[in-house]
Amino acid sequence: MTAAVGILAASCHLPRHKRSVEDLFREEGANFTADVAARLGIEQVPIQNGDASETASNMAVAASREALQNAKIDPLTVDVVVEYSIMPQEYLVPVWNMSNKVQAETGASKSFVVGFSGGGSSNFMVALTSAAAMLSKNDSMKTALLVTGDTTIPGNRVLNPDDPVTVIGDGASAVVLQRDAPNGILIDTELWSEGNNHDVCYIPGGSLMHPDDITLYRMRLDKARYDAFPKAKTLRLMSDRLLERARTTLSDVASVLCANISAADEVAIQEAFEGKVAPVCTSNRQSHGHLLGTDFPLNYLSLMESGSIKEGDHVLIVSHGMGTTAAVSLLRC
Amino acid sequence: MNQNIGILEATYYLPPTRKTLAQVFEDEEKSTETFAANVDFEKDIGIDALHVAKNETAADLCINAARRTMEKSGIDPKEIDLIIDFTSIPEDYVAPTWSAAGQVQKAIGATRAFTTAINTGGCASYQTTLKVACSLMSANDRYNTALLVAGDKTPEFNDNYFPITVVSDGGSAVLLRKNMNKRRILGIEVATVGRLHDMWVIPGIHNRKSKDIGGKYPRWLHVCGDVQRFNKELIPINLFMFRKVIQAVLKQVGKKMQDVSYFVYPTFSAWDLKAFSTAFNIPPEKMSGEGMHHGHLQETDMVVGYVDALEAGRIKDGDLVLLATNGAGFSWGASLVQN
Repeated sequence: MTAAVGILAASCHLPRHKRSVEDLFREEGANFTADVAARLGIEQVPIQNGDASETASNMAVAASREALQNAKIDPLTVDVVVEYSIMPQEYLVPVWNMSNKVQAETGASKSFVVGFSGGGSSNFMVALTSAAAMLSKNDSMKTALLVTGDTTIPGNRVLNPDDPVTVIGDGASAVVLQRDAPNGILIDTELWSEGNNHDVCYIPGGSLMHPDDITLYRMRLDKARYDAFPKAKTLRLMSDRLLERARTTLSDVASVLCANISAADEVAIQEAFEGKVAPVCTSNRQSHGHLLGTDFPLNYLSLMESGSIKEGDHVLIVSHGMGTTAAVSLLRC
Repeated sequence: MNQNIGILEATYYLPPTRKTLAQVFEDEEKSTETFAANVDFEKDIGIDALHVAKNETAADLCINAARRTMEKSGIDPKEIDLIIDFTSIPEDYVAPTWSAAGQVQKAIGATRAFTTAINTGGCASYQTTLKVACSLMSANDRYNTALLVAGDKTPEFNDNYFPITVVSDGGSAVLLRKNMNKRRILGIEVATVGRLHDMWVIPGIHNRKSKDIGGKYPRWLHVCGDVQRFNKELIPINLFMFRKVIQAVLKQVGKKMQDVSYFVYPTFSAWDLKAFSTAFNIPPEKMSGEGMHHGHLQETDMVVGYVDALEAGRIKDGDLVLLATNGAGFSWGASLVQN
């Protein structure tokens, strides 16, 4: 990257209502044992209550407005809206994408929009690095609005109920990026995909393969292949490569932010990253569960508010994307 | 913007089975809406037959196009750093959770590549994807080769996109590489009008109506266009938006309209092609249109128009080529290639 691109502001918009994980397990017919509770380390998750204001795209619009306001950015100066959601939207993607609605309803009328598919939570880093590349390499572009809104498929909040991996909540987030921002600078990103795992975590029904089988319209995880993928080890190797390019080492990194998938997942990442995973990941996971791409803006905001980061500190953001696309970004705060 | 990023190779794949337009109109539901343009949709469209994928999946269409492109280029798949899927209609599994990019990576053995998909812009996803790919390649020393792929298999009984076009199945693949001295991408411009976001949608299974369950038509997978809004809100701004992106991309690289040797435009319909060429004063010999016999191939139209013109010798070394399209969402895109 030539011109420095950094985060001006971020915002999360979550449903007001929360459900306990125990309730959701009962509702979805999954067995909530003490062992499962300990492995997940999630107590409750935000769930939309059916209000129109809590559709994925309306929450995304609300998060975008707040992020733009926090950044003191006139929506008319936004050059590109970059969308990174993971769950199905109000209409079928890619013919429809909420980024167009966000553009219209935030008044970012001079921008164009782009959305990304695949990659699980790593979609956030894909959006981050693509937006930063566009801002740094196109003279006519200076400001990007990154946005997501994800609502779970009802009855599909416990991922892999037979051997639960996480509990997914609803929420939205937005991040304002700008060329020549004073801090929150994106130094570099390392991205990696494993094509053999393209169908480790996906929704089999509702599109061309099984167009009318509503029972397959659920997010499914192939647990054996998910477990076989060396998630934490891969992220550490990728981080080492990235840190070497940035001429720094893990010892110079103040904190690591991971996705809020489960306590077990965090323990593995904590071990791989020598205890540098920020405590905010633990508390946000317990109180919100896994919010897909929104995990990162949520954890980033909490980390900044915690007072544990000072200007110039390096922060690593890591995501294994459920074994399909792994991503690591390095920020200078 | 770019470091002489150019098109190393591009190809498309069309499934061999064809279906006549008469059969399409007989099989599918007819719209009762009226179209503002003074044309007979079925008679004047200028397309005779469509390509139809039978047992091939949408991902197969991507993979076939990718394999052809790789073969023609002669490069090792392990040289590919990025694979970006730019398909603009429903894929084999539900997006944005899934895209075909990973399956393409696996099929061609591009083990070093990072994969993603761009799911905005409709047919203009070609330009949106070019913009993202060229930016990523310019900004990162380690991204030297990118493969852009698309594969469109139209849901059953949804080839008729009244009042715009009729759609065919097919796939395309474009290999981009740095440090090219031919077929260089000089500039890309994209514009979006977000307020039209819900004028053209596919409802999805979560919005299906009980009366459609078990019926002949999987309507929840069919495009639903609001023809009244199309007439009132889109048609009046369409050429204005084309002019905006075309002028912007020419200005970006210091060129003028008269410098352009050849124009690649989508094969929506004969009347649409005529309206565009008349508005921009483009003679027929400088404009793609032979691809009309394939039907409209979504974002792949850009690749078909470019490849057909190259192979027919209508684009020569050194020619400046302008590729322009619009797409659902609604987006407009224009890119300039120096051949």
